[in-house]
Amino acid sequence: MNELELIQRLRNGDEAAFKFLVENYQDRVFNTAIGIVQNAEDAEDVAQEVFIQVFRSIHAFKAESKLSTWIYRITTTRALDHLRNRKSKKRFGLLQRLFGDGNETLYEVPDFNHPGVTLDRKENAALLFKAIKQLPENQKIAFTLHKLEDLSYQEISEVMKTSVAAVESMMHRAKQNLKKALAESLEKKTKGEK
Amino acid sequence: MSRMNKQDKIEQILQSLDANQRVPAPDFFYTRLKARMEREFSDGKKNKAWILRPAYALVVLIMVLALNALVILKGSETPDLNNNDTETVQSIAAEYSLNDNNTLYDLIPEK
Repeated sequence: MNELELIQRLRNGDEAAFKFLVENYQDRVFNTAIGIVQNAEDAEDVAQEVFIQVFRSIHAFKAESKLSTWIYRITTTRALDHLRNRKSKKRFGLLQRLFGDGNETLYEVPDFNHPGVTLDRKENAALLFKAIKQLPENQKIAFTLHKLEDLSYQEISEVMKTSVAAVESMMHRAKQNLKKALAESLEKKTKGEK
Repeated sequence: MSRMNKQDKIEQILQSLDANQRVPAPDFFYTRLKARMEREFSDGKKNKAWILRPAYALVVLIMVLALNALVILKGSETPDLNNNDTETVQSIAAEYSLNDNNTLYDLIPEK
């Protein structure tokens, strides 16, 4: 089934076509989402929301870009929305603790262990994910798509609706910021060991 | 940790995702997705269904018409004070010396 045929069948509400789409894209969507939200359950939630949005708005898709580009765009947007919601909930929780009776439990978020990273790199990857969390949104998206989904700068520029030069610049700044955050993190670790 | 070691370590950390594998979606993803979609779509229909009921539309129409009529009738009415009311108001005003606006100034002694 080619892409145009798939889109047409999706527009006609063909369930088999939708199942085909989900089975073809679910790993890409889930992998991107887990890289951004850094939690498997949240990533599944995001992935479900992505396919529901695809199902609902396939009529609005003009096929000016590839279907995969459009799906990546929805995924990154949804994942960022999820992060924003989580942040606002966290802020609300903080307020509740401030004005509450102090009995609420404070949960520490554990370091994220990406399931796709080999065992010998797990410790380093956890440090890197912690640093990625601190990146500005556009740098986070560019870095995640490049590192986890192996997308080229050209593909990332299409997903983010920007130029290749802008993506290059984002990636450069992302690396600089990550180096800075990692240096601080290593510094703290060394001080902690002493 | 020396500066050189630290730089090496940072580079090593930055490369830690280079050989990673794509994480597959959890098992039965499609089944769960389908269940959620059915739930959401049926909830959506249920939520909106009451709007489409003729009885609801009729009630809303009657309420709007009644409200319009009320506004028109109230707007056309002029304040109508009958004589009894006016007399009562005047007697109360006289009793409390409210008719004379200069009362306050009368109390101030003239120099």
